[in-house]
Amino acid sequence: MTINLAHNRPDAESLNAFENDLNNIREETISKVGQADARYIRKIIRIQRSGEVFGRLSLVLGFFHPLFWVAGIALLALSKILDNMEIGHNIMHGQYDWMNDPHINSRKFDWDIWGDGESWKRYHNHEHHTYTNIIGKDRDYGYGLLRLSDDIAWRPKNRFQFITYTLLSSFFQFGIAYHEVAGERIFAGKQKETSSLPISREALKQSFFSKIKKQVFKEYLFFPLLAALISWPMFFAVLAGNMIAEFIRNWWTASVIFCGHFTEDAQTFDEKECENETRGEWYYRQILGSSNFKGSRIFHILTGHLSCQVEHHLFPDVPAYHYVEMADKVEAVCKKYNIPYNTGSFGQQYWTVVKRVIKYSFPTKEEQQLATNS
Amino acid sequence: MNALAQQGWIWFSQALTQHSSFSGYFQPLIQLIAPQWSTDAYRAQVIEIRDELADMFTLVLKPKTGLIDQQWPSFKAGQFIELMVEKEGSRTLRCFSISSSPAHYKKTGLIELSIRIQRQGRITPWIREQMRVGSLVNISVAQGDFILPTPLVEKYLFIAGGSGITPFRSMLQQQLLSEETEQRDIHLLYYSRNNQHIAFQQELEQLQNNCPNITVTFINGEQEGFICEQHVQNYCPDYHQRTSFICGPSPMIQQARKVLSDLKVDNSKINFEFFGAAPIEMKSTGQAIVHFQASEKIVVSEENKTETLLEQAEAQGLTPVSGCRIGVCHQCICKKKSGIVFNTRTQQYSDTGSEEIQLCISVAQGDVVLDL
Repeated sequence: MTINLAHNRPDAESLNAFENDLNNIREETISKVGQADARYIRKIIRIQRSGEVFGRLSLVLGFFHPLFWVAGIALLALSKILDNMEIGHNIMHGQYDWMNDPHINSRKFDWDIWGDGESWKRYHNHEHHTYTNIIGKDRDYGYGLLRLSDDIAWRPKNRFQFITYTLLSSFFQFGIAYHEVAGERIFAGKQKETSSLPISREALKQSFFSKIKKQVFKEYLFFPLLAALISWPMFFAVLAGNMIAEFIRNWWTASVIFCGHFTEDAQTFDEKECENETRGEWYYRQILGSSNFKGSRIFHILTGHLSCQVEHHLFPDVPAYHYVEMADKVEAVCKKYNIPYNTGSFGQQYWTVVKRVIKYSFPTKEEQQLATNS
Repeated sequence: MNALAQQGWIWFSQALTQHSSFSGYFQPLIQLIAPQWSTDAYRAQVIEIRDELADMFTLVLKPKTGLIDQQWPSFKAGQFIELMVEKEGSRTLRCFSISSSPAHYKKTGLIELSIRIQRQGRITPWIREQMRVGSLVNISVAQGDFILPTPLVEKYLFIAGGSGITPFRSMLQQQLLSEETEQRDIHLLYYSRNNQHIAFQQELEQLQNNCPNITVTFINGEQEGFICEQHVQNYCPDYHQRTSFICGPSPMIQQARKVLSDLKVDNSKINFEFFGAAPIEMKSTGQAIVHFQASEKIVVSEENKTETLLEQAEAQGLTPVSGCRIGVCHQCICKKKSGIVFNTRTQQYSDTGSEEIQLCISVAQGDVVLDL
């Protein structure tokens, strides 16, 4: 249920102090960003690139022993997860722009997934990060497919939304690609009269298809054909391997992202309440609408540090590696001002997501009554 | 056909690596065996660091060649390169004239950069402190058209101010070392702050003794002041027959150009090279409003204070990719959605429509919307 922001919000004075405390955490961290961060991201990129090269080689070696094939899938999935989460997502947020490296900057980078980086930056960095969890404004909320709060009227199709959810997770890369160009608007003709998009529908379609063509060529044609040179059944072995690696990556990214915003206690907001927000109020809303989960450093890296979704939403352009150390400080600040800070283990958080998807499959009591009465 | 094949290749590389070149994708891996290797720069090794003056030093660099490194193309005397160093993880570029000659490079494979340490600078003092013999740096190809014309014009007047001597040292050394039979007649007026600050003094004196066609006049600024008509008339009476080349700090260049103009030297015979960004020669601009659209920031620029768009963006906490900051490297290119900007390098006003501009040399005129 959309909460009444103004009602539960700390008073203006404490919000100001709260804003200051958070700004200080940011300043403190930014002053530490430097050589170590450059070395770190290059190291992760090296692991990802090696993972991809050896993964693809290993898939082909499946010709000699199936274990190679399995290892190849694992390496390729790992490489895609690193590329999408810790590398692509964070670079495209501009977290490493200060390095001035021609290949590690938000202007140039594109990731190994169907969604085109340019379009993603346009909508995600802007819409989702500004209007986080505002029903009607944040299109990421349920991706227009799932009903995850009472603010959206129940419709019969919601009955099957657990299946929709499984399908969305399995084909997450298509979902993202379609979603970021607002596919339902550009393809189905549900065009808004006053389009706020800075780019034409044709240009959006063009970038949507151009990226998918490239990805399909690579994963389903080029590398399988290359393997077919050894023996033709290898075409299918590599094709299947690539698809499984993508499948693993899809489930992983979808789950991480769902745990960031759709856990039981992650709140939603009404558009009107968020007009003329101060920075402090904005910070407050970001914290209420996001949830963290705990884990080891390697686990954090695999989530692209979206395990620290709260910190990511507060400081989207701070190199993500610092979120873990910032999280302790942010949690302490929240405690000081009596602001709920949503965190738990990945398993716990994920369970609440599943519960939420199921819970909102059913209409509310009023809606049920309305349905039976009519 | 060639262009089509190239486009196809870029598509192929993008499809496989999400990078427009394979080398871009593999760069981090290549760097494992070749530190500092970069797709858009050459590697060079520091061979020697030589102090010239209390606040000026020379870096002797050897551009690397080999399997991984492409051969660094040579240069023309008077040209500059971008030197790229990584400071605290951040790549920083500065432009420096090559102070040695192409003939010297041909013979030894070495180039020299003579760098003045800017006391308040962020980079030049750091370079002097951090660089060691053996350190690796990145350099660009040589650029710039501050070069002597190839059909031999016979007589030249060089006017150097302080560290502006560097391109002239290259030209003079070239004359000495190259085996060209035709020798140019060169007169160098070399202004320095005082007699403690004359770089390459011995070398230039020796050069003068060895080459009858070269005359060097050292002018001590402390005693004789800024460049003026009398200096030119007294030290180089045949100035009107000579083609002039001027290099030094911008006020000095402005002054020298004015002096030569007043002496009725034709503008086409005056060449000059600014160190750093060209000074902004603009009439009163009034207020300008810059809208950084993507980051939703609006800046109202103060009257009588000319700031480049890059400076304004950085003051807002934005971090657009930037490089040389003097309009050379084209890294800070950004899409301007609308509005007129003044280009301090070409001294021209832009069109009002949407186009790519270089932030570091653009000054907003009126209202400008940027996709940043």
